[in-house]
Amino acid sequence: MRLPDRVTGLFLVGLGAAAAYGGWQLPPVPGQPVGPNVFPLVIGSGLALCGLAIAFGIGRSFEEEEHLIPVEGDQPQPPTGKLYGLRALLPPALLLFYVAIADRLGFILTATLIVYVTATALGARWKVALPLAVLAPIGIHLIFSKLLRVPLPPGVLPMPW
Amino acid sequence: MLNTLTQAFALITTWEVIVAMLAASVYGLVIGSLPGLSATMATALLVPVTFYLSPIAAIATIVAASTMAIFAGDIPGALLRIPGTPASAAYADEAYAMTRKGEAELALGAGVWFSAVGGIAGTLSLMILAPPLAEIALSFSTFEYFWLAFLGLMCATLVARSSPVKAIASMFIGLLVACIGIENPGGVPRFTFGMTNLFGGIEPIPALVGVFAVAQVMRAMLTPEPPPIPRRKFGSILAGQWKLTKKYNWQMTRGNIIGIIIGVLPGAGADMAAWVSYAMSKRFSKEPEKFGTGHVEGLVEAGASNNASIASGWVPSLLFGIPGDTIAAIAIGVLYMKGLNPGPTLFTEKASSMYAIYLMFIIANIIMIPLGIVMIRLASYVLRAPRSTVMPVIMLCCAVGSFAIGNNIFGVVIVATFGVIGYVMEENGYPVAAMVLGIVMGTMIEQSFVTSLIKSDGSVFPFFERPIAAILAALAIGALIWPVLVWVWRRLKRTPAPATSAG
Repeated sequence: MRLPDRVTGLFLVGLGAAAAYGGWQLPPVPGQPVGPNVFPLVIGSGLALCGLAIAFGIGRSFEEEEHLIPVEGDQPQPPTGKLYGLRALLPPALLLFYVAIADRLGFILTATLIVYVTATALGARWKVALPLAVLAPIGIHLIFSKLLRVPLPPGVLPMPW
Repeated sequence: MLNTLTQAFALITTWEVIVAMLAASVYGLVIGSLPGLSATMATALLVPVTFYLSPIAAIATIVAASTMAIFAGDIPGALLRIPGTPASAAYADEAYAMTRKGEAELALGAGVWFSAVGGIAGTLSLMILAPPLAEIALSFSTFEYFWLAFLGLMCATLVARSSPVKAIASMFIGLLVACIGIENPGGVPRFTFGMTNLFGGIEPIPALVGVFAVAQVMRAMLTPEPPPIPRRKFGSILAGQWKLTKKYNWQMTRGNIIGIIIGVLPGAGADMAAWVSYAMSKRFSKEPEKFGTGHVEGLVEAGASNNASIASGWVPSLLFGIPGDTIAAIAIGVLYMKGLNPGPTLFTEKASSMYAIYLMFIIANIIMIPLGIVMIRLASYVLRAPRSTVMPVIMLCCAVGSFAIGNNIFGVVIVATFGVIGYVMEENGYPVAAMVLGIVMGTMIEQSFVTSLIKSDGSVFPFFERPIAAILAALAIGALIWPVLVWVWRRLKRTPAPATSAG
């Protein structure tokens, strides 16, 4: 997902300009020179300026020391296919899946699916992933629903407590 | 004073606080020692739990978990050369070199011992610095608050180990996120795009969980699993630490002081403290050639430094509501939730609660020594937990925790969104910590800015008229324009170079 600075910079210019314009459109507080419109205007302009600077490569020279975490040399290189990068989108996709389905299916079943998929995607074999997918949701449900009284959706499989 | 202290003791010697503190300590040790799970993430995932605790117990969990997690990050650093938290990254190589030399006990012992010393030094600084600063802060007007908050954001961008322009852009993104909602001077829906869920604005905590936890799971999807830890038996952990304390007394003190200063600076936290202290230790050492080959000196100084910064990071948080680092940003959220709104009056009106916080810090740092030793001995087992079993549980905690914060399923959407935002930003060199501080401080900065503007009738000059405001303004503006100056200066220096080579 490493994009060229030109792309992220120009995106920020667009975002900043949109924010500044959107802020400028807001009505001021009657009888006051300033209101809710000032702050987005300032922030948006600042963001747009930063975006321009990034697009032109200002400040690039500071980025040398980026790799904080030392990596062992003899580790296998991850496969670098085009679709491989999309794996990173799995966690947020699963969270959105939770939002969409948890009310109907209930917490336990949804959580089981999430845990199983995440564990498998990270390379767990089914012998590990399956027990984890059964036990982890029950444990979390115990802590949050029983102890902390969070109203988790019961769905089709309510827990006995 | 004595009366307040007794009250504070009474506050923390309840079962709830003791149990909460112990549980949070174990939790912090485990999360901190697992590579890839940072101290900030440990604290952020704890917030939903603190909802259901009394105020003091809630703060106790935050204090204990963050203190322990920063130390525990040293463990995989020393054993695997993979820092458990970014705060240990500065000296992970050094500690690993010591392990290779057969001095794992000394390296880990130095980690736990000097972390505890640093933590206590940081707490003392909090006790000594905060009350007099509160006196000064009482006379602050919105102008000073505006510049102070702005300076805090600028510090966060200056210390980010990345391009300052990108850091400033991240900060603006955070401030822009804080603009969302109807909590603005006019009370009109702003950037809500007609979505009722956005009327309340974006809560900092789900955003934090997304940026620090979900983004981490996303990264794990693409990076290879760290190697398993070799099983080993440890000798005495604390043996020789007292000798080190005497030998490197000055280094330890210097580490403490640097850590305290960096912690007090808004926006700069434990990882920065460790990097600066390690570099200083090497620079001023009598035997710098030994650094990198398994020399304990840098460990002493940096280990003392990163824990000292944790406690002193609470100074600006408690006084102004300006977080010293991302962990303090979470703490501020919890403080507000529990009716302990940050501000200078906190030290007079809720003095016993403040003393309770000091006491908890000291206790956390003392119990860190025995608990830390147990954790080091168990590390071979805990660190064997494969990532593919830890990350799914983290995912569930993200989903349930973000829902629990407002009993609103929209929280989960925010977490997922900020996971993606945080991941993309980090991949492209935009420091997420600056954005997080922007989100946390956005409302405050806007309020002080707009109130000041209304007071000054739209003029900019009153912003610089009060003496303290003028000083803060000069500092903040200097921080804002220095990357441009450096860039211009380098340009000017570079332009003559091709001319001479051509001629």
